[in-house]
Amino acid sequence: MMMRLLKVDMLKMKRKGMWFLTILGPVGVIALQMVNYGVRKEYLLQQNSDYWGYYLKNISAFTPLAIVLGIAILTSFIASIENETNAWKQLVALPISKMSVYLSKFTVLSIMFFLSSCLLMVFTLGFGLFLDFNQEIPFLEVFQYSFFPFFAALPVLALQLWVATVSKNQGISITVGVVGVIFAYSAFTLPDWMIWKWPSLMNEWDDPTINVWLGLGVGSMLYIIGMFDFKRRDVR
Amino acid sequence: MEYIIQTKNLSKKFGKELAVNGVDIRIAKGEIYGFLGPNGAGKSTTIRMLLGLMKPTSGKVAIFGKDLKSERINILKKVGSLVENPSYYPHLTAKENLEAIRKIVGVPKTRIDEVLKTVRLQDAANKKVKGFSLGMKQRLGIATALLNKPELLILDEPTNGLDPSGIIEIRELIKSLPEKYGMTILISSHLLSEIDQIATTVGIITKGKMIFQDSIEEMRMFARQYIKLKVSQHEHAWRTLLASGMKAELEDGHILLSDQTDQHVAEAVQLLVQQGISIYRVEEDKKSLEDIFLQMTKEELAG
Repeated sequence: MMMRLLKVDMLKMKRKGMWFLTILGPVGVIALQMVNYGVRKEYLLQQNSDYWGYYLKNISAFTPLAIVLGIAILTSFIASIENETNAWKQLVALPISKMSVYLSKFTVLSIMFFLSSCLLMVFTLGFGLFLDFNQEIPFLEVFQYSFFPFFAALPVLALQLWVATVSKNQGISITVGVVGVIFAYSAFTLPDWMIWKWPSLMNEWDDPTINVWLGLGVGSMLYIIGMFDFKRRDVR
Repeated sequence: MEYIIQTKNLSKKFGKELAVNGVDIRIAKGEIYGFLGPNGAGKSTTIRMLLGLMKPTSGKVAIFGKDLKSERINILKKVGSLVENPSYYPHLTAKENLEAIRKIVGVPKTRIDEVLKTVRLQDAANKKVKGFSLGMKQRLGIATALLNKPELLILDEPTNGLDPSGIIEIRELIKSLPEKYGMTILISSHLLSEIDQIATTVGIITKGKMIFQDSIEEMRMFARQYIKLKVSQHEHAWRTLLASGMKAELEDGHILLSDQTDQHVAEAVQLLVQQGISIYRVEEDKKSLEDIFLQMTKEELAG
């Protein structure tokens, strides 16, 4: 049943430009570095003798923003598909459980962000090789900086999907999304417990894996809360 | 008697407001059940509870003799529905819209062409629904409801917003379904005339309460027409008519004749004129749905 629902959700996303956004995210993040290194490569190489490490730091300054912004946009998109003509009432009156409807939406979004992360890794490596640092490639770090922000952003994804599916007014989910982006932008000054800080992989112990575990834990918790709230609510 | 739908004391509260109040619906197999009521009477809320979209505050719903709460998915496999305004995905074509539902209900792909043909949308199959007229969207909604060959079809105001030819077309379609496929149909409307032409059984709901549930023939008894006379000395006129053995009622200073043959009306008028009573108006008074509601609610209070 789950596979069928996923296929249906993919079908509904046709002509909505969501896949385009999925690709645009990582392209945008790397494009910024193309400009950065294109304009002042010599200067940047002087800043730090660990060229790859410094390059990855530069990229990771924008990854969380792109992810949080992407979450805000894609969750409202996926909810608006059903909200537009209140197709929820048609969907929920079909012989499927409400929980699987919710799980399918969450899964589709996760797949898209996972794909974004994969692309980010490929582009990071690609442009890094193009820059020709002549240093050993830190594959582990490249992997971490590509995938960890996504896992750390799971709570934001779960929260936004919840807000977008249960609020009749898309304005509410957009507002939560915009506030989230502002938080992500000012991650440096936020306390560690704020979920919007986590994708930046910063914390006071300087260990990004903490953010990943927190992301997975709190993410599943918020997902379960959202799913049960969605199930409990009447469809009007 | 085997009931396809049976509710027991079904109620729904929104905050403090009781939108549906102790409704007992009984729909037998093969019936076209007309669910009548003015806007905001609780029709849609009741239908949403029948489909499991809303949870009842109290009461029970049994469909195909099974409890909706515990066997929702099994029940919905055999139910097709169209609730209020049709839901669709405007950026997809009619075919893609049906495909999105077909994948979930798991019927063969050929069903899509079949239902498109049934609602006569085959020519628009590959057009985006965005550009459809309201009538076409409504027909697509019905096509979607028919996709899984349902045993029970629930249609909430299916002719809402359609033009007269569209209404007739949908009506003929709905009428043909029970014979052709053995479906049981629940159709709601706020128009008596609409229900009158298709339903075999009628349930009337107002202010959340079911005030009438019986066959359409019983219903018609209430909807009969009257000849209404406005006269001077109505009390005297009424007694005169009764004294000569005519059926007449006195209501708000008007006399109502239930026997409306030309001859009978002529006799009555002649009799009154001979008695020196002035006749101001003779008019046909068809009871509107509102009047019937009023009449029924009055009886409800009295009885």
